[in-house]
Amino acid sequence: MDDAEAIKRCQRGDREAFRHLVERYQKRAVAHAVAILFDRDDAEDVVQDAFIDAFKAIGTFDTARTFYPWFYVLLRHRCYKMTARRRPTESLDEALLIVTQRELPDDTRFALENALQSLTREEREIVLLKYFSGLSYDEIATHLQIPRGTVMSRLFYARRRLQGKLAGMLITEKEV
Amino acid sequence: MKEPGCEDVLMAQMAAVDGEEPGFSTKQFSEHIAACANCQHELKQLQTLDQVLAGHTLSEPRVDLWPAIANRIAGRTNWQPFALIGLLLVIYKLLEMLPARDPGIAFKLVPLVIVVLLFVFIRENPFRINTDLVLER
Repeated sequence: MDDAEAIKRCQRGDREAFRHLVERYQKRAVAHAVAILFDRDDAEDVVQDAFIDAFKAIGTFDTARTFYPWFYVLLRHRCYKMTARRRPTESLDEALLIVTQRELPDDTRFALENALQSLTREEREIVLLKYFSGLSYDEIATHLQIPRGTVMSRLFYARRRLQGKLAGMLITEKEV
Repeated sequence: MKEPGCEDVLMAQMAAVDGEEPGFSTKQFSEHIAACANCQHELKQLQTLDQVLAGHTLSEPRVDLWPAIANRIAGRTNWQPFALIGLLLVIYKLLEMLPARDPGIAFKLVPLVIVVLLFVFIRENPFRINTDLVLER
């Protein structure tokens, strides 16, 4: 069953069809929520809430669109609500956020995660969507509901800040 | 036309590196960078950062949220069918109150049918005794 079919069935009241969407997108959604919240338990809670929101609103979903960018808007809204009402998160004890597909020493990886954590929520989100989810500027604009020009500038300033945080590491990388 | 500043040029250059439409002509920002030591330095740093960030993906944890979500969805009850059943019962009562009218035994069975339909709708067997022990959390 593809997404469009599942959504049409959900719109006809088929709850089981919603399972297809949950099972297909839950991992990606939790990964994105962890990236925003830096907390695995909170991330799972907000993803559940976002799926419930999606289920309630699925009747208004236009099947010509793709599901995940629409769902992502609901998810980040839930994440932002959660961050507004909780105290700032402590640092991650272990690498939770990223998986490296090339050789990277643990300390470099932790430094990278800590540097990401020190960015603002918006900056971190855009860096993660660009680099770790591999989205194009237009896709990021759709996910974040911002103009393409804002994607360019936000990404630029986020990179600049990250570069400042990783200054030492970048020198090492350069020397290697 | 206004000359682009350093930030505009760097933004455009990074967009070009990302394979995106930069918004300026390549010639325009190449000329600026060739003449600006600051931009050259910052561009090198941004490209090094690009290399550090390349080759990673988000860690997608093993989760199974469906059982919890399914429970929550099942817990949401549509109020419309209950409202309809209530309305039918009120109409029935009003018809029953009409004087000088004997609707017959079939009419008297209508509330019973409505109640049976209600149990069918909520998928509950009123005659089943639940013997499972449930520990409250």
